[in-house]
Amino acid sequence: MREDSVFSALSDPSRRRLLESLADRESASLTELAGQLPVTRQAVSKHLALLGQAGLVAATRVGRETRYTLTPEPLGEAIVWMERLGAAWDERLARLRDHLARDGQAGTVVRA
Amino acid sequence: MEVEREVLLDAPPEEVWEALTDPAQLEEWFANDVEFDVERGGVFRWDDGDVRHAVVEEADPDRRLAIRWWDPAGGEESEVVFTLVAVPEGTRLVVTETASCDWSWGLQAYAGRQRLLCAL
Repeated sequence: MREDSVFSALSDPSRRRLLESLADRESASLTELAGQLPVTRQAVSKHLALLGQAGLVAATRVGRETRYTLTPEPLGEAIVWMERLGAAWDERLARLRDHLARDGQAGTVVRA
Repeated sequence: MEVEREVLLDAPPEEVWEALTDPAQLEEWFANDVEFDVERGGVFRWDDGDVRHAVVEEADPDRRLAIRWWDPAGGEESEVVFTLVAVPEGTRLVVTETASCDWSWGLQAYAGRQRLLCAL
């Protein structure tokens, strides 16, 4: 019943916040994710386990650290939409930065 | 559902505002063909055939520009908000695009699911 687990995974605001954080980056550690939420590390760990069961998050061991990545397939169109949109804005804002750059000195992308 | 991006621009807010609202400048970085009026909105066209119609919801010069735009062929509608903040380096520009949730999610649009996805 993976469909049901996707819904219940999405029903919690902390888990939705975790998915948003993961959608913004390639991968993140538990510590990085816990720093973004006003809940304990243990709670974040439990949320990640649930998201993992729903197939929304994959855990990969890198050395001594576990990295979490979004596996958005169960979200299908919604996440594809967000990724497509984010990529379009990245391109547009890079062009705007170049357009506005004075003396050939470009600005800095703060958060891509 | 919302996408947010932030960029630090090497120009003061007044110049960034011009780049966001002047059709000639918009054609330099945003779209290939731009008809735009900060009072009314306009039409953006891209060479790949993409078209967006836009209306301006809020224009606070040098600070905040909010537009609602949609694809006249597909109906996808979203709100784009540009927020400009003066910083020592120039301007911090934050862009958010928020999808309205009344368009179809295609195959996924069955009871409950759309609401949950929109909550993202």
